[in-house]
Amino acid sequence: MNKDVKISINGVAYEKSVPLRMLLVDFIRDEAGLTGTHIGCTYEGRCGTCTVQMDGEAVKSCMLLAVQADGREIATVEGLASNGRLHPLQEAFNEHHALQCGFCTPGILMNTEEFLKENPDPSEAEIRRSLVGNICRCTGYDHIIDAIQTAAKRLRQA
Amino acid sequence: MTTSESSATTVSSAPESSDWVGRSFKRKEDHRLTTGKGQYLADIAAPGMAHLVFHRSTHAHALIKKVDTSKAAKMPGVLAVITGAELKDQILGFPQPVVVPALEAKYPTFWPLALDKVKFHGEPIAAVVAVDKYQAEDAALVIEVEYEPLPVVLDPEKALEAGAPRVHEIFDDNEMFALTFTGGQTQEEQDANDKDVEALIQEADVVVKQRFRVHRTGVTPMETRGALAQWDESDGLLAHVTTQRPHIDRLALADMLSIPPQMVQVIAPRDQGGEFGVKAPFYREPILVCHMARKLGRPVRWVETREEHLMCVSQERDQIHDIEVAAKSDGTITAVRDRAIGDAGDGCEGVYWGFLMPFLGAALLPNAYDLPKCDIKLRVAFTNKSALSPARSFGAFPARFALDRAIDLVARKLGMDPADVRRKNLITELPYTSATGVHYDSGDFLKTWDNLTKTIGLTAFRKEQAKALKEGRYIGIGFAVGAELSGVASEVLVPMENQPGYGAATVRVDPRGTVLVFEGDAPGGQGHETSLAQIAAQEFGIHPNDIVVKTGDTSITPFGSGTIGARAGSYTASAVSIACRRLKDKIAVIMAHDLKLEDATPEDFEFKNGEVIYKGGNIRKTFVEMTNRIIMMPLDLPEGVDAGLDETAFFEADKPMICFSCHGTIIEVDADTGQFEIKKYVTSEDAGTVINPLIVEGQVQGAVVQGISNTIFEEFVYDENGQQLTADFENYQIASAADVPRVMVTHAGVPCPHTPLGTRGLGEGLPGPVPAALGNAVSDALQPFGIEITDLPLRANKIWAMIQEAKKKTAA
Ligand code: FES
Ligand code: FES
Repeated sequence: MNKDVKISINGVAYEKSVPLRMLLVDFIRDEAGLTGTHIGCTYEGRCGTCTVQMDGEAVKSCMLLAVQADGREIATVEGLASNGRLHPLQEAFNEHHALQCGFCTPGILMNTEEFLKENPDPSEAEIRRSLVGNICRCTGYDHIIDAIQTAAKRLRQA
Repeated sequence: MTTSESSATTVSSAPESSDWVGRSFKRKEDHRLTTGKGQYLADIAAPGMAHLVFHRSTHAHALIKKVDTSKAAKMPGVLAVITGAELKDQILGFPQPVVVPALEAKYPTFWPLALDKVKFHGEPIAAVVAVDKYQAEDAALVIEVEYEPLPVVLDPEKALEAGAPRVHEIFDDNEMFALTFTGGQTQEEQDANDKDVEALIQEADVVVKQRFRVHRTGVTPMETRGALAQWDESDGLLAHVTTQRPHIDRLALADMLSIPPQMVQVIAPRDQGGEFGVKAPFYREPILVCHMARKLGRPVRWVETREEHLMCVSQERDQIHDIEVAAKSDGTITAVRDRAIGDAGDGCEGVYWGFLMPFLGAALLPNAYDLPKCDIKLRVAFTNKSALSPARSFGAFPARFALDRAIDLVARKLGMDPADVRRKNLITELPYTSATGVHYDSGDFLKTWDNLTKTIGLTAFRKEQAKALKEGRYIGIGFAVGAELSGVASEVLVPMENQPGYGAATVRVDPRGTVLVFEGDAPGGQGHETSLAQIAAQEFGIHPNDIVVKTGDTSITPFGSGTIGARAGSYTASAVSIACRRLKDKIAVIMAHDLKLEDATPEDFEFKNGEVIYKGGNIRKTFVEMTNRIIMMPLDLPEGVDAGLDETAFFEADKPMICFSCHGTIIEVDADTGQFEIKKYVTSEDAGTVINPLIVEGQVQGAVVQGISNTIFEEFVYDENGQQLTADFENYQIASAADVPRVMVTHAGVPCPHTPLGTRGLGEGLPGPVPAALGNAVSDALQPFGIEITDLPLRANKIWAMIQEAKKKTAA
């Protein structure tokens, strides 16, 4: 069974007829062609590589159906940089070598972008707790913490 | 906790402005990866692409009586359904020579799909190709398989017993591989050696005898496996595969599918979401994907689910070591005897066959210790589990745990500090060849070790520990070391894997003075595009941004055996360096000719800041001028010199090289609950000349956390019927950011004398010392209870039970 949906991703509206069972992550990747959002687990919501924002809130797009996003605003990593300028998080991740393979990175960026809005001056322990839903297999997390701290500082000063 | 008395040499001593090696240059890969533009396998599509989904066994050991695909074939969108029985007549099976080690072992015959029996829960039985991914999944679900269950054998020791159910009927028993690693080649030599070791054990002042068990765990990457195959009648096969060794895959695919190799192109996507050894084998699934693309004449893609991944690959470690260590009263170890048992699972896996990991683990067991007398024997069993597949600290993780834990037990018996016993037995004179024949080229182990104990503050810690104990707090310190392969020389890789060990690179200079570097290996997050650019930049005196590194495509890169064994920093970096140097010589010769500098030799020229400088007369030309002149204006060249600036180099060290790493950790255990906290984790590295300190720090931190996660959190669990209980991330727990400590990385290295730039590759072996360091620290903390950790995983409930047991004993 199909349903017509209108989902806005990074400000662009996608009007499609999709099967009811289609996952939001598949809609983002296959229908909108935005492959920066990844799939790292069998939809158990554990790895966090599929994290996007729905109406400003970080969500795991493998845990939602596309039809649940009908009429909503989705933000993905592709929309994080604006007007050709990288987001402070993206810059800081590069400076601190906070990514190796980069597979976890988009999810972490989208999770953390929201987290820093709620908690602009987090402690290291708070940052670590904010990341429990995003597994990174490569970095051991230290550089990610460093990058988030740097970005938080810059965002506070901005 | 302890105050660090650190004066540790953290690298980044500011390099000269023109030096690119030694600089934490920001990675070139990151822009695309932080903006969502990375192209991992699942992001690559082809027009008209169909999707392949496997139907996998629900039994661990069973005869296949019938596979009914009729319903599946009629499902909407289905293009093809294939079973093992059909496939057997269409392609060749394993083993094929290029993916079989040159070691005597039992190599089972198998096809990508099971034929008449399944040997582990998750073995592929059939596959569906459909237009749409959801349709393929639906159809795979309705394939009906009739099984006749067989008795399962899961414990490797039981598997080796006479009369155990056989995993492979074609063999008489389940002993897949057995080897004596010490004493010599002949039985007589080995027997004589065994006797010597026995005598040393008999006459030793102390002997420790202990069984150590390391569970099944590995380093599963965040990106699963996958393949996308395209077929063209005239061009042949184009296969994108998640792989660390595209060139080997190409040869093996050509063999199995009977396609002339020149018609096979394999591309490892330049973005791979982690590999850690897991993507090094030649697996069965991509073969079927390629075959189906050829059969259907349309592109076919398979993207592995996490469930499939955890059921079939990423499972490593899983060894038993019965170890005896004999020592003199001053702490000098005189002999080591080890009887190791490995669990290969069903062993059906190209290149590694489930037993190469325990094989190398046994060979690496002596580690960085001077142990001239060892008696080491290994047996590897087939069981009804998925084949072991490699994970960084390849095979060595359990061996490191066993020996470095045993050393603490020796210290305990002698009333010495384990750190002192460890230091006493470290190799001081290099080069050194271990009792198992492993060659250690160079390094300064004591310097690296002393840097660690000083940085972590061992002396101050012991005082603090005594004080804490009075307050009823249990804190402990633990150490372990790792002498790890830094690249795998042909001398080792040819006999071990039937493959060459050299590092290869092609350097192509552009007329505009920019450079392309081609690497035949296939990185997955290690930052080769940056590190190798830094090497070429250093050599040519140009900016790394003027250099682009291409990897993983067999049609444009020189042959290489793959991104394995920490070889990039040693072998591949050296190949880049040598190719650059040959081109520099050529440029110098032509410049000397043009300027009529009759006596000038290439050594008189320097490449710096975009210029080629004749040092004798301070005559300069820009690099661009020279490259343009040589490539675009090949007139009046010196005699015997060709036009063009293209060079391929193959680097092979004379002898295998190593890198050395020491780990120390401080842990506090809550004796009421068994919970423990890692308060501090420090490493001291000898990685030779460091190309990019930030990248190296990231490698070490990541590897240590993988080791911590393997030791404490992760475990593949099978129930008594061989059903896998841990095929998702809820049950297979990987450490999160909140679970792990900061990892402090320090360096005390000396440049490697065997590579052009003094570099050493590191990364592969780094998780190895972690389990012993943690086990030693917890045991050290719990000495008041006399507790010694011998089994992994290291979990609070187990520690709690041990404390209860110990308390009962003292009460009694
Ligand atoms: S894909 Fe793993 S949480 Fe969504
Ligand atoms: S960078 Fe590879 S998983 Fe995080």
